[in-house]
Amino acid sequence: MDVALENIGKSFGRVRVLDNVTLTFPSRKFVTLLGPSGCGKTTLLRIIAGLETVDRGCIRFGDRTVNSMAPKDRNIAMVFQSYALYPQMTIRQNIGYGLKVRGVDRASIKSAVERVAGILEIDSLLDRRPSQLSGGQRQRVALGRAMVRRPDIFLMDEPLSNLDAKLRVTMRTELRRFHFDLQATTIYVTHDQLEAMTMSDCIAVMNAGVVQQFGTPAEVYNRPSNLFVAGFIGNPPMNFLTGRIEMNDGKAKFKMNDFALPLSEPWTVASAGREVILGVRPQDITVGSDHSEMALCGTVWMTELVGSEKLIEIELGGRERMTAQVRADAPVPESGPISMCLDTRRVHIFNASTGLAIR
Amino acid sequence: MNPDRAHRMLGLAATYLVLLATTFLVCFPLIWALSTSLKGKAEIFATPPTLIPHEPTIDNYKALITGRPQYFQSGSERVATGSAPAEFFGRWFLNSIIVTVGSTLISIAVSTLAAYSITRFRYFGRRIVPYLSILGYMVPSIIFVFPLFLVMVRLELTDNLLSLILGYVSLTLPFCMWLMWAFMRSIPIEIEEAALIDGATRLQVFRDVVIPTALPGIIAAAIFSIIVSWNDYLFGRVFLNSLDNLTLTVGVMLFFEGTHVDWGLLMAACVLMTVPMAVLFMALQRHLVTGFGAGAVKG
Repeated sequence: MDVALENIGKSFGRVRVLDNVTLTFPSRKFVTLLGPSGCGKTTLLRIIAGLETVDRGCIRFGDRTVNSMAPKDRNIAMVFQSYALYPQMTIRQNIGYGLKVRGVDRASIKSAVERVAGILEIDSLLDRRPSQLSGGQRQRVALGRAMVRRPDIFLMDEPLSNLDAKLRVTMRTELRRFHFDLQATTIYVTHDQLEAMTMSDCIAVMNAGVVQQFGTPAEVYNRPSNLFVAGFIGNPPMNFLTGRIEMNDGKAKFKMNDFALPLSEPWTVASAGREVILGVRPQDITVGSDHSEMALCGTVWMTELVGSEKLIEIELGGRERMTAQVRADAPVPESGPISMCLDTRRVHIFNASTGLAIR
Repeated sequence: MNPDRAHRMLGLAATYLVLLATTFLVCFPLIWALSTSLKGKAEIFATPPTLIPHEPTIDNYKALITGRPQYFQSGSERVATGSAPAEFFGRWFLNSIIVTVGSTLISIAVSTLAAYSITRFRYFGRRIVPYLSILGYMVPSIIFVFPLFLVMVRLELTDNLLSLILGYVSLTLPFCMWLMWAFMRSIPIEIEEAALIDGATRLQVFRDVVIPTALPGIIAAAIFSIIVSWNDYLFGRVFLNSLDNLTLTVGVMLFFEGTHVDWGLLMAACVLMTVPMAVLFMALQRHLVTGFGAGAVKG
């Protein structure tokens, strides 16, 4: 079942949390709401769950408008960040509670709980209470509680954020596998771009209550629609340089002080003479000792070894710095002058005043 | 013996000695009451006094339970005294149970619902209510007794156990609500939301999730209400007057009236009054600590 949000607006007092959000979560897809803390992603999820009302706009599940429908009637399941297990109930009762309040008979509850517990490998924990479980086990119980009712839509609010790094990697894969098995529309909230990139069919990048870009992980990474998305997606973050587009002999160049980078045609026509921002990812920079006009010169400020790669912080004039990522064994001086060549096919140009990508 | 070990043992012994002495000091009135209640009339006034009765007897307890008339010994004769509190002891005990249970049930039901409402719904004044509610404890309760008495007169409830139940509710409800408010705030709202999404109604959420989670707080509030209602003298003294309707605290004072004080009976009555509270407190002590602890952190 697809979920459509049309012009959703929500404020808490004077604080506008969601501003005209229009989004469609395609049926049976794993869609992630990604953004920094306070961007409105959890509020949006709670609105879909029916735990918050909207000030304006329309929420549709398939062809049904659900704005005024109670959470219990939406046939959704939600996994909370804190797991929200019922502390006084055993794991068996926790998983079966949703079926019990819906009037399912005992024998069916028992078999459904045991089936889900078997899938999640928590069948030996059924008679314990949540306080007797580890974080990972609680997470599985929360997942089991969501799975047992076979909901149309799965909502997950940062379910991995309380787990340690190793367990998070394992659970990431398992969540993805469960999605394949269950084939329910899944809406997943996270601020962790790695989770979003690895698990999702589509990502909605949000900031300040507005959806900045909606697309596949590859689209948001390779073709960011604005400066926010470009800076938020990717680790280490994208480097930005402010300059102008100049036309020379019919060819466009990005010009910043003495640095001039030839650009391909499509950008130039509309943007000639304008102030723009050039974005380049650290992975798309090669370092060396080339001192031509096409090379950007600076001095090495700091190098950091991160496993198989090395990050080089390079200081340009003033306080401006750029990060380049090279192989760990690349011969890079610890200090002193260095030059960078940018991969012209991989640079991104943004309008300096609107922040939108120029394509 | 290793000097370190000897030093540690000595320290431990000193600690236990201090603890024992303090416990004895605190418990001495109760021990004395128990001792006196188990003595015959002659031994009660024996000089020097005895802590452990030489000839223990349960006559005083029998007298209270069977309602034997009170008397004093004059030579070889037993002379009945003016008033007969022992005859009513069973009735007073029952009255105390009725008002304590009644007021506690009302206080707990109202305070739990009020605290849930204050912590879960948004409306004007909800933040200030818990703080205002405990303002009443800043002034002596005698200030409230007479206005409340006038209210009871208007309601024609004087000399009626219902008046005392309502009086105790007015006395215990604010603190119970404050305690439950602090406790409810510590219950994560997500578990209620999870239940709503699971398909529960608001009432089912309250019954299946909120009440079991808030149980330590409810028990703490109930113990407070029970102790206040059971031990109160002032309200009972003002609101009730016929012998049939008195509660234990007021009734036991009548042992002092008449021509002679029967200390054995009086002490047995005191012990019997104390036993239910002591048993209740010991049984629920763990919950009491959890409940008041939550209040301390969140309040």
